[in-house]
Order: sequence, then C-alpha cells, then structure tokens
Amino acid sequence: MNMLEVKDLRKRFGENEVLKGIDLTLKKGEVLAIIGASGGGKTTLLRCLNFLEKANSGEILVGGKSVYRAVEGEKPVVTAEAQLSFGLVFQQFNLFPQYSVLENLMLAPKLRAKRRTTEGERETVDAIRARAEALLATVGLSEKANAYPCQLSGGQQQRVAIARALMLSPDILCFDEPTSSLDPELTGEVLRVIRSLKSSDRTMIIVTHEMEFARNVADQVIFIADGVIEEQGTPEQVFGNPQKEKTKAFLSAGVEGIR
Amino acid sequence: MDQFLNITLDLLVGFGETLKIFCITLALSLPLGLVIAFGSMSKFKLLSALTRAFVWVIRGTPLMLQLITVYYGPGLVFGQMLLSASAAVYITFTINYACYFSEIYRGGIESIAKGQYEAGQVLGMTRSETFFKVILLQVVKRILAPMSNEIITLVKDTSLARVVTYYELIYFAQRYIKNGGLLWPLFYTAVYYLVFTALLTLLFRWLEKKLDYFKA
Repeated sequence: MNMLEVKDLRKRFGENEVLKGIDLTLKKGEVLAIIGASGGGKTTLLRCLNFLEKANSGEILVGGKSVYRAVEGEKPVVTAEAQLSFGLVFQQFNLFPQYSVLENLMLAPKLRAKRRTTEGERETVDAIRARAEALLATVGLSEKANAYPCQLSGGQQQRVAIARALMLSPDILCFDEPTSSLDPELTGEVLRVIRSLKSSDRTMIIVTHEMEFARNVADQVIFIADGVIEEQGTPEQVFGNPQKEKTKAFLSAGVEGIR
Repeated sequence: MDQFLNITLDLLVGFGETLKIFCITLALSLPLGLVIAFGSMSKFKLLSALTRAFVWVIRGTPLMLQLITVYYGPGLVFGQMLLSASAAVYITFTINYACYFSEIYRGGIESIAKGQYEAGQVLGMTRSETFFKVILLQVVKRILAPMSNEIITLVKDTSLARVVTYYELIYFAQRYIKNGGLLWPLFYTAVYYLVFTALLTLLFRWLEKKLDYFKA
C-alpha cells in the first residue's frame, strides 16, 4: 500500500510558481531522496508536506486517506491528524533554547497528553520520559539529556532534533537539508543516525545535497528542477544512468564542485 | 535630629503612596501591554491600524496632559467629576505604560526566529502553546534591558501624579516648604528614589543572570 501519495501539488508565491504540479508515491518503509539545485522547489515541497506552506492546489494522501486537499482559489481542507502524519527535521535544528535536551523531546508529547480528555489514552509523563530516554540512546546522546542546546555541537543539536521529531511517531519523517548548516566534520554523525533509522516501517523523505548519501540510503530518488520532477527512479537509475540533460548537468556540476 | 527622623518617617508614608502607583501600574500594564502588542500585530488590518494609532497618541502626548485630561476631562464635558484622583492616576499610568511596554514586546516577539514557531507547529503544538511554552521566555530574555529602563522611568514618573492632587512623595516634601520654609526635605526625596531604583537594578541584574543559562 502507498504510505504517501501526492497528486498534482502546486504552490505559488505571488506570481512566482515554485511547484508546478508534483506527483509522487511512496511505500511504507521507503526512503525518498529529493535532489536538485537551490531554488528548484525541493524545500517548498517539503514545507507543503508539513503544512508550513499551504499548497494552492493538489492533494496529499497518507495511508490512502486524504489529509490535505486544495482547489485553486478555495480554502484548503486539512484534516485534524494531518500535521502529526508528518515530522520535520529542519536545516537550522530549531531546538527550543530554554529547555534541556530531555525537555525538548518531552514538551510536545506532554502538551499533547494534556489535551487528551479521556484518561485511558493519556500518556503519563513517566511513559513520555521513558520514550525520550530511549530515543536519546538511539541517537547516541544519552549523556546529554540535561544539557542545553547552546552547550551542544551542531551535529549533536541535529541529532536531538531528529529524536524530538521521532517522539511524535510521525508516519513520514522529513529532513530538510539536515546537514547543510553543519561543519563538514559533523555531517557524518548526523547521516549515520539517519541511516540507522531506516527500517521497514519508517518512511522518510530527505532533501539533501549529499549525493553519496542519497545514493546509499534512498530507495527512490527524484530530481526537481524549476518546480517539476525532472527525473525519478532508483538511485542506480538517477545517478548511474540519468536520462535528462538537466539531470546530467546537475550531477556533473556537483562532481566538479567537489574537485 | 528628632525633626530629621520625623520627616524621614513622614516622607516614607509619602513614598508608600508613590509605591502604590508603581505597583498597581506595573501589575496592570505588564499584561495589558501584551494585549496591545497582539492588537498592533493583528492580521486584521483595521484592528492593527486602530491599535497603532492609539499607541501613537499615548506615546505622542505628555503623561501630565493625559492625567489632566482623564481627571478633569469628564468634569469639563459632563459638568461632573467621574473619577477620584487615585483612580485617574492608576488608569492613566496603566494605559500609558502599557503602550510603551507593547512596543517593547512587539519588538521582542518579532525578533524571535520563525523557525521556533515552525518547530512548534510541526510538533503538533497549538499556536498558543507555542507562544506561551516556547516563545515567551525567549522574548522576556531579550527585552529585559529595555524593560528595566522603562520600569525605572516609571519610578520617577509617579511624581507627575501630584498635578491631579494625588499625594505622593514629592507632594509630602513640598508641604515642608509651605508650612515652615524647610527646603531640604524636597531634595532629600532623591534618596528614596535612588534607593528604590538601586533595588530594581539589582533585581534586573539577578533576572538577567537567571536567564543566562540559555542563548536566544
């Protein structure tokens, strides 16, 4: 079954059309890497999936159920569970500076538990703490539970941000250039954590400039340019045997950039 | 010596009246300022325009004139005083300071990175949860210095209350000039203001230290 289905998603900022009809499907447990030059629409697509931007038209389905539907000129329909279907890890981490690492993980789940009115489904603070500690262990930061974000390196902050996003158990976890604001020596630890999260029931979308990483981790790669999916396929297809001129140019420019 | 002690105690009573203005104004204008700040940042253009115009009038006219208007205005228009001197003082000071605070709040709120709101949203927090649990403390940390300025100004602005016959510290001291020609108590009042502002300065320094554990 398709975990995620995106149908003809379009987004304009004023006159500037940034997404010109994006279609994609993703199976449960799949990892999708989105590559493309800056300004091509990668990040806007991710932000539309997390409702930080409202797509002007198109539909988003999670697990076969429509969570977002917009028709040009009308108010979009967003279901209540839409937001928590997706998790997002930001380029700039966006940890809450006044809270310790553990508190950063626990804040949203605690507020969510408080909002639940029926006793039965309410998660206790102890249960939330236990989950937070387990996730900190997953990202290798158990010893930093009581540290504050300003005391952590960029790589550590990003690992905390990943754990924080996982606390809400999103169906689809998105990463917006998770290593782009890190020093080169810190990208490895973050990429290792993301790779370790790959499992049969965790669906992920990663916008990245790390081509090697995309090639190794992704099940599906899409190359976006000028608001459309220019090329789509397995990493072998897209990296090994690109069909479109734009893709070839983008990939070879990347290699030259490294040289 | 006896006279000095008596006058010191008498002025302390006057200072109590000054403190009353200070405390009531602060307790009411700190939250009211937040409401006005939200008004001026509102997406509803009319509301934000009206709020900003109101803030402009309040900040653009002397506090003394506002006091006189609120206290004597109803009498001039309706032929009947509506407010006691103390009520007029509390209301005028509260509105005046709330407007100044609102601009400080607005600057602070707008300076917080958009990413903090977005992080709250993608974690499924409501807008008000994000504001009160995430944004507010960061704003407080950022506006501490301008707020301490404004609050220290309030200590001394209380002396304007006497133009509408509110008997505060300066008024108490001036009585000694009229009855008995004693000039020094008036200058002596400076000590009260200085001691109190010193305490406030220490309080703000402590608060700043207290919030030093994080960077925002």
